[in-house]
Amino acid sequence: MMVVMVIVFLRAWLGPSLYDRILAINIFGTATVLIIAILGFYMQRPAFMDIALVYSLINFIGTVAILKLYRFDDLGHREEKES
Amino acid sequence: MSVRKNPILRETSHLLIPAILLFALYVQFHGDYGPGGGFQAGVIFASGIILYALLHGTKRAEKVISLNLAKTFAAIGLLLYAGIGVFGILLGGNYLDYNVLTQNPVHGQHWGILIIELGVGITVAAVIISIFYAFAKFKK
Repeated sequence: MMVVMVIVFLRAWLGPSLYDRILAINIFGTATVLIIAILGFYMQRPAFMDIALVYSLINFIGTVAILKLYRFDDLGHREEKES
Repeated sequence: MSVRKNPILRETSHLLIPAILLFALYVQFHGDYGPGGGFQAGVIFASGIILYALLHGTKRAEKVISLNLAKTFAAIGLLLYAGIGVFGILLGGNYLDYNVLTQNPVHGQHWGILIIELGVGITVAAVIISIFYAFAKFKK
């Protein structure tokens, strides 16, 4: 898991395009969720599962926010045609 | 990222938003037994609203929770916190003394913590939503 995280971090650091970086950061978050879950299992603390859930939800929202910021330069944007 | 052009994003988010809000309430009211508490629950709740605002724009999000409503809820949460503290003084204890809230000190602690955390959660959620509005509506 650590090896995966290092490789993915390298991709996020060097990544030729923005999408490589975003995908790499997303995979990094998923790996973090897995590590938290494994640690919770290893340390016999099932409460870690809640933290992993929160992390995955925030990861998703963060990715959506970055993509939207990149696409529109504006977080509050709304398409005019929609009523 | 219009909602109409991205069916995958729309459906996923509309599945996730109620789950996020429900999970925020779980963290809020389960906070005295597991990880979490008022602050974390407020942040999770606010992130659900922020996801909605990202999808539909701040104008539609402000029809759900307007800026004034967020400010009002911030004040209400703070009032709840301070009110419980003053309520403890009125019942003969110190400020924020939970033991005197009910007959049984253990129950008093329980109810006191629960209400205090509720106040913290409401305030944090409202303030984070208003901070997001302030940043999202910022024009260069």
